[in-house]
Amino acid sequence: MSSDNAYAVELKGVTFKRGLRTIFDNVDLVVPRGKVTGIMGPSGCGKTTLLRLIGAQLRPTSGAVVVNGQNLPSLSRSELFDMRKQMGVLFQSGALFTDLNVFENVAFPLRVHTSLPEEMIRDIVLMKLQAVGLRGACELMPDELSGGMKRRVALARAIALDPQILMYDEPFVGQDPIAMGVLVRLIRLLNDALGLTSIVVSHDLAETASIADYLYVVGDAQVLGQGTPAELMESDNPRIRQFMKGIADGPVPFHYPASDYRRDLLGDA
Amino acid sequence: MRRTPFIERVRLFGRAGLDIVEALGRSGLFLLHALVGRNGTGSSALQLLFKQLYSVGVLSLAIIIVSGIFIGMVLALQGYNILVDFASEEAVGQMVALTLLRELGPVVTALLFAGRAGSALTAEIGNMKSTEQLSSLEMIGVDPLKYIIAPRLWAGFISMPLLSAIFTVVGIWGGAMVAVDWLGVYEGSYWGNMQRSVEFQGDVLNGIIKSMVFAVVVTWIAVFQGYDCEPTSEGISRATTRTVVYASLAVLGLDFILTALMFGDF
Repeated sequence: MSSDNAYAVELKGVTFKRGLRTIFDNVDLVVPRGKVTGIMGPSGCGKTTLLRLIGAQLRPTSGAVVVNGQNLPSLSRSELFDMRKQMGVLFQSGALFTDLNVFENVAFPLRVHTSLPEEMIRDIVLMKLQAVGLRGACELMPDELSGGMKRRVALARAIALDPQILMYDEPFVGQDPIAMGVLVRLIRLLNDALGLTSIVVSHDLAETASIADYLYVVGDAQVLGQGTPAELMESDNPRIRQFMKGIADGPVPFHYPASDYRRDLLGDA
Repeated sequence: MRRTPFIERVRLFGRAGLDIVEALGRSGLFLLHALVGRNGTGSSALQLLFKQLYSVGVLSLAIIIVSGIFIGMVLALQGYNILVDFASEEAVGQMVALTLLRELGPVVTALLFAGRAGSALTAEIGNMKSTEQLSSLEMIGVDPLKYIIAPRLWAGFISMPLLSAIFTVVGIWGGAMVAVDWLGVYEGSYWGNMQRSVEFQGDVLNGIIKSMVFAVVVTWIAVFQGYDCEPTSEGISRATTRTVVYASLAVLGLDFILTALMFGDF
């Protein structure tokens, strides 16, 4: 494993098609090691698909997805599962195991992948839950938690094994302002304190730009632009400007393609 | 309404055929990956199996026992009414036992199992898929085929033949209740004729083989439909329906083939 490589993740000429629809067309993207990289773009542009490609839950139609120097599409099923121990993912829904309580959810990766004594597992789980502010909720079941709390428990579970790469899928959706502020700081803090590489997929501009070292804007099956948040804010590209400034009128259409509005309402008369 | 051109209908027919072959291939690989290779779940594998044996097997006991008793009782009642015309009502025990051992035990258990446990398995796995729990397992580095699917498959394989045996035993006991205690058939004839006519290899063993085959088919269909379903509430509902329909048809079709192989004079 070449984890000395400057890039934790590299997408080289990746094309991904779902049926006849091209989600990504010959995309090149690199994620620098030890940094927070934000991937932004309008809803439905394939941001989550990109995370699933990096996690090898989807195979690209063509191209290479290289994580820690290993080309994921060429790995066997068991090699892939070993590889994933180095990654953590925070899913949009939290994806907690509904038959386990909060404590057991966070303890799950430790129980499956380590043979640590029970006291040590307990201490690690409580520390991870303390980091997300939910140590007091360790006895609760997932259906007793709010959406935001579920996501924080899922974050504690994602960092249980101290992965090298942590991916966040829309982490800011549904968080109240207090939790949002804590989460934003937590993502940055975890990245710096644990020496992780973080990939944040989001369309929450302000929050992502405030913590990301480097940003990609994706859309139309391409990487529309990349750079530091400050560079992208000053970009001349009209598509990037529209997204970064949140302007309704511009090259990225707000409306899904449709027939003539007047004719739809009034008919041919 | 616009008529579909003939060539388009041929294309759709071909597409449907290819889809079926593709689904068969996918389900075959799915079964292979789930059952073969290193488990990776360590010492918890037995724990997972016991948990599933409870939810798939033990929780199906009530419906199996109640249905078994009633079917045995009905068989005895109907058998008695027919046999009494030929003064052969003493053979009712033999009739009840052979019917249950050879046919109704394995078949009805499989149908009830598909409805109770099979549909629950599909819905549970489908829901795990739609709430990203299966994806989450994958990303934690745990193969859901080993952790979620394999214990459920083995639980079905183990519990259904046992449920079928229990169904048959309580059915014979229900038959005795009606024939001996209610209709007055001599108890010695009921049990004696049964003992004399039932062969271990020809009847008991064949019944067990049937229920083992049904166990594999029904559980396989149930878990595959859950794993392969569209992860929406409508998709899960359709997959659950497919489980019951496909499993029931497969059981009835296979029953004919197995009966022909086991008892047919070729």
